[in-house]
Amino acid sequence: MPRWDVRGCVHSPTTVSACEAALSTTPEPAAERAPSRTIGVDIGGTFTDVVVLSSDGSVVTAKSATTPAAFAEGVLDGIGEAATMLGMPLDELLASTSLVKHGSTVATNALLTRGGVSVGLITTRGFEDTPIIMRAVGRIDGLPDDEVRHVAAVTKPDPLVPTRLIRGVRERIDAMGQVVVPLNVDDVRSAAHELIEEHRVEALAVSLLHAWANPTHELAIRRLLEDDYGTDRVYLSFGSELSSVAGEYARTNTAIADAYVGPIVGRYLADLDRRLRAAGFVGRLLIMQGNGGLTAPAQATPISTLQSGPAGGMIAAADAADRHGHPRVITTDMGGTSFDVGIIDGGYWPYADEPIFERFRIQQPIIDIQSIGAGGGTIARVDPATGRLLVGPRSAGASPGPVCYGAGGSEPTVTDCDLVLGLIDPEYFLGGRRRLDLGAARAAIQAKLAAPLGMSVEDVAAGVVRIVNSQMSDLIRREVVKSGHHPNDFVLYSFGGAGPVHAVGYARSLGIGSILVFPTSSVFSAFGIAMADLLHTRLATRYVPLPADPDGFNDDLAAIEEALGEQLRDDGFEGGPEFRRFLTMRFRRQTTGEEIRLPWDRLSPDRMAELERLFVDRYEELYGAGVAYRDAGIDVAGVRVDAIGPVAKPAIGTAEAGEPDPSIALKGKRNAYLGEGWHEASVYDHGRLAHPMKLDGPAIVESPFTTIALPPGSRATVDEQHTLVIQP
Amino acid sequence: MTAGAATATIDPVSYEIFTHRLWAIGEEGRIALQRVTASPIVAQGGECMCSFYDADGTMILACSGHLRFAAATSDAIRQIIEWYSDEPGIHPGDEFFFNDPYVAGSHTYDIMQIAPVFHGDDRIAWVASSSHTADTGGLLRGAATEIYHEGIRILGLKIVDRGQFREDVFRTITEQCRDPHYVGMDLKSRTAANNVCLRGYQSLVDRFGVDFAIAAGRKLIEDAERMARAKLVAIPDGTWRSRIYGSARNPGSGGPVPYQVVCTATKSGDELTLDFEGSSPQLASDQNSTLPSTLAHVAIGLTNQLFWDVPWSDGKMRPVDVRVPDGSALNCRFPAACGRSPRIGQYVVEAVRECVSKMLFAAGIVEDVNASWGSFWYLGGPGFFYGGHNALGLPNPQGLYDIHGGGFGAAPARDGVATGGQANIPSGGISDVERIEVQYPFLYFSRNHNPDGGGSGRYQGGNGSARLLMVRGSADLSVDFAPYAGLPHGAYGLFGGYPVGTGGIRAILRPGSDLQARLASGDYPVTPAEAIDDGWAQIDPGPERPGRIAVPEGSLIADFVQGGGGYGDPLDREPERVAADVATGIVTTSSAERQYGVVLDAAGEVDSTRTERRRAEIRAARRGGRAVTATQGDEGWDPVRRIHEHIELGRMADGTMSHRCRRCLTGLGPATENYKHGAIRTDRPLADLAPTPMPDGSPFLATLHEYACPGCGTLLQVDVYCRDLGGEEDLWDIHVTG
Repeated sequence: MPRWDVRGCVHSPTTVSACEAALSTTPEPAAERAPSRTIGVDIGGTFTDVVVLSSDGSVVTAKSATTPAAFAEGVLDGIGEAATMLGMPLDELLASTSLVKHGSTVATNALLTRGGVSVGLITTRGFEDTPIIMRAVGRIDGLPDDEVRHVAAVTKPDPLVPTRLIRGVRERIDAMGQVVVPLNVDDVRSAAHELIEEHRVEALAVSLLHAWANPTHELAIRRLLEDDYGTDRVYLSFGSELSSVAGEYARTNTAIADAYVGPIVGRYLADLDRRLRAAGFVGRLLIMQGNGGLTAPAQATPISTLQSGPAGGMIAAADAADRHGHPRVITTDMGGTSFDVGIIDGGYWPYADEPIFERFRIQQPIIDIQSIGAGGGTIARVDPATGRLLVGPRSAGASPGPVCYGAGGSEPTVTDCDLVLGLIDPEYFLGGRRRLDLGAARAAIQAKLAAPLGMSVEDVAAGVVRIVNSQMSDLIRREVVKSGHHPNDFVLYSFGGAGPVHAVGYARSLGIGSILVFPTSSVFSAFGIAMADLLHTRLATRYVPLPADPDGFNDDLAAIEEALGEQLRDDGFEGGPEFRRFLTMRFRRQTTGEEIRLPWDRLSPDRMAELERLFVDRYEELYGAGVAYRDAGIDVAGVRVDAIGPVAKPAIGTAEAGEPDPSIALKGKRNAYLGEGWHEASVYDHGRLAHPMKLDGPAIVESPFTTIALPPGSRATVDEQHTLVIQP
Repeated sequence: MTAGAATATIDPVSYEIFTHRLWAIGEEGRIALQRVTASPIVAQGGECMCSFYDADGTMILACSGHLRFAAATSDAIRQIIEWYSDEPGIHPGDEFFFNDPYVAGSHTYDIMQIAPVFHGDDRIAWVASSSHTADTGGLLRGAATEIYHEGIRILGLKIVDRGQFREDVFRTITEQCRDPHYVGMDLKSRTAANNVCLRGYQSLVDRFGVDFAIAAGRKLIEDAERMARAKLVAIPDGTWRSRIYGSARNPGSGGPVPYQVVCTATKSGDELTLDFEGSSPQLASDQNSTLPSTLAHVAIGLTNQLFWDVPWSDGKMRPVDVRVPDGSALNCRFPAACGRSPRIGQYVVEAVRECVSKMLFAAGIVEDVNASWGSFWYLGGPGFFYGGHNALGLPNPQGLYDIHGGGFGAAPARDGVATGGQANIPSGGISDVERIEVQYPFLYFSRNHNPDGGGSGRYQGGNGSARLLMVRGSADLSVDFAPYAGLPHGAYGLFGGYPVGTGGIRAILRPGSDLQARLASGDYPVTPAEAIDDGWAQIDPGPERPGRIAVPEGSLIADFVQGGGGYGDPLDREPERVAADVATGIVTTSSAERQYGVVLDAAGEVDSTRTERRRAEIRAARRGGRAVTATQGDEGWDPVRRIHEHIELGRMADGTMSHRCRRCLTGLGPATENYKHGAIRTDRPLADLAPTPMPDGSPFLATLHEYACPGCGTLLQVDVYCRDLGGEEDLWDIHVTG
């Protein structure tokens, strides 16, 4: 008999065990009993999340405190917690695990805290200031609109490499990849000597102009450095090895950031591997990348691990989209300070063009996830000059946090408004781990918002929630419009602690027909990582005016596929890779292009004509009829190939249908502001809901990690994987 | 028919939702425009804008993008309504093409596409998408002397007529230009953006109702006015004055023509008057500003600094009265050429900002105080408007916008941002060299920070970039070439900081015959000094009569974009910081000694003894040989307000208001007079500061007036003064009365 097993929280100094449900089902008769578990691990800023998938279809989740001093410790704690939940010792769990798939925040953390190593940069002479000039956009990269407008006050971030550790070497390659000035080897030797012997840098980044078009000089520098200093003395990062895209600023940043965190990530992975092996693990460790796929540790460049957590969330969403048959999905993640939106279209995702990490733009295939400062901690205030009710972008963050946390916050936030509206229970926030001060929230809203506006506390709180919901729907709309579609073509997946309280609110105005909230949402990234496949991506700049010989493209694709296939083989992948192929196309002289997925393996003269048609159609879909301008000519500006190596994973169990009446899960009733007014809402315990229970709004579903609000008119059903499917 | 008075009541929550959505729609439009355009300056440089207007053309809201476009379009809409309402009529689905700078915009290259929004038969609003298209046909840049030379000037022509794209109009417009595909793509990018804005605005009307949409638009305008007035009230009453210099070309002699922009800002209560009396008369070249362009640039100057957090609608300019003398270079008479109006417009921006910076300082709002942005030590030599074709046979994009990587001005507690960007385009930047080299016939040898590019000061102005590049892959490249004019352009320092640094060379260098062979052997020059000293090339002083000149294959072009102004007395900068700047190449050793009084030893470390001696000498020289004056002491002094980094106003024992130095307490004269009359002025030739003469050896055209405290020798203010242009010799820059 399938059941949802809800366990109490076990507190210990270092771990917060999973209070989340663990699904176990009747083992399938033919299920193999061999060591075939998969463990997904995601290290976040606060918690390290662990998901164990077993061959019986069960899913066990656990959380432990992240341990920045030695991240691997927290990982082992989390896996240990999962072992406890499975009723076995740690070594037995690890011995029966074939894969540990791992996403970590180690690189991210080193960049955020500026805790990287001392890096030297070797670049083309005459361009030493490229990472300091930052294309001038470095002054505003990564800042929200309202700060960008504050022109007199906005400054650049401190560079990751100081000027004194940058050396130019004589060489010049042109945009076509032709050598104009040969590499001056003496310059390289003296630069390396100064940086390594005199300045004692731990890592060297090398990034030369137009190395994306011709890496000869960078390769020569690699040989020379390896000959002179060996492979262990300093960590080396090369722009051309990390990116084949034109744009020296972002590529140079990529090499610098990779070098900056490289030794730290390397030491961490070695430490983790050692600890796992010592604890009995004999399987394979795979590393999660920001592109949405895995690779072997030996091939994982440190920079590629940035954003692996959010990428895990996208994979979990793509996996759910596949199982539910949703072609187009909007993922939304609302936490304490930010609201993140991603798009899945046809099972995959777009990559950001020069993604900005912290304040630095880089060139890496990183899933495009857009963010605004709208979260539970977002502050509401009244502008004294105009009496406007302004929500955000300032945030009280996690500390001091909302007024109701009682930790010193004095300005009312979105969470304070949720509280006075009865949407969250002051006694059951985070499963009761944090008691909220309703009185303080009310008093702050009264003094700071309600009194100046002459409104009641409840009305102004409802207004704040409507405003923040509409800001979130504006971001969703923008991302959807950028993808060339309409919001009502999409299903919305909601995760993050503060998300499901607001999801119906922001989905309704977009005309979205369905919202899904997952039982794994508190460990969504770790779950996605556990479900991930091997993936290597190549993005490269090209300049090919059409019409052109299809064989040129075919040779190009074949060479890229060969290289990516080899990387998959080096990951230990033995099957035939799956490829996704794209060309970036544009009208001649445009500076950005549109990515067109090729519906074929290879091109032919007929397909070239068809390709142009696909581009023009897509273009007009994006920008409106009549905007295409064929007379200007069409260029191919880039190529992208994704090579996927599917990894076998246990099937997730499904529950058999039981009682549709949810009353067994009813905790009680309370008054809450839902939709447009106050209602007596039924309050349900998420852990006690089961397939195929049906709930009608007004209702509230509470779990230890989030609260789901169902206004009148909305309905929800529990599907056979314990996902709440909401019709807003 | 336009909509009548809307009477919807505005609830504050719906209003926030409406305004956020409207902003988001404008941003969606701008993103679409930047993706469709073929112009690097629009796609990467951000010279574009999407904005919304009410039924009569008053701007409701502009998105981010280039602020110049937002400020201009209202006038174009009003003119379209006046001229064309009856014939040919304004209909749903229409879109007008407009680029007459005498009505709206800055020059013919600023192109607006404007579409009405209808609700049934009522015209309820307008949307506009604008961008800079650097080709309108006509004479190539630099040669125009009347507007007729500056290409097509369209006073409102329907490019879309009741939803039908007009191929005839499109072809006619694009075929007037040298580069029809580029112009055509730009035109289509504005249509694409308008499609987004129209659709978005209609969806707001559907959701909130037409009365609400109109009333919310009105409230946006009123709110902006309220916020602007609140900001003005926080500033003490008084009068501030600034004088900014520029230069143009005399079409007759070919020589340089300096001119000045003088701005007097009088703040009283919640209103501000900006009077440009004293500015130079209009010029015979294309360096003129039409009145609409001047007003747009005044709005930019205010928006960037004083009203940065006030939503951008026409409401914010309601408390501001702007007076511009007719027939001046800031209000030129038709048909004067005005292709360079963004340049003179930038000087208007800086003139406004200098006053605003000092007003904000007196109000105690110091985080928004900033010295000049992207000013120039001198101008002249090769410009950045290219003609000809690249190696692929495609026309060169006309402008090369490294100029958008200027240095920003220093602030009261920090140095200016080096290569900070173009302040009028808050989200803009410069292109990667790798992308430039694909489109333009150039091979760069360097793009680094320009040593000595920022104005000296306790806090130093940010440096711009310096570049050396080689013409490569064009048989017919030409460029505009202006006469050298040696005086600081668009520059001001604050409270003893210098207006701009002295680094940088702008010139064409003729290469030696062995250039290619030397490149192939593994070497290249990265600075003009290196190119000259190592025998790579010789400076070409330029043609007798500047205008458009050919630049043959293999020529080197040295160029720089200057930095920001400095803040405070350079002698107050910690010697160790100066040494560090010398080590990183931001400041040269000679300027460390000359400007900062810092002497370094052979290892580059501060020589403390010699530094102290040198600084004492400089201070003594500023006092004109006088001994340190005994201070007046504190007795009977009742401080009233700090109006300057080093000067405060206070009441003396006898009840009269007076200025005094905050450092040594020396009196600087009564509050009813210019504090500069109580200071000691030293006139310093520009050549004293410059390590190198101008590329053609011509003389400098101005002097620096350095004002120091007679008591302690602290530098209080450094002004540029061009005697030939006349005007107030000791500019009374700060006169606080409230």
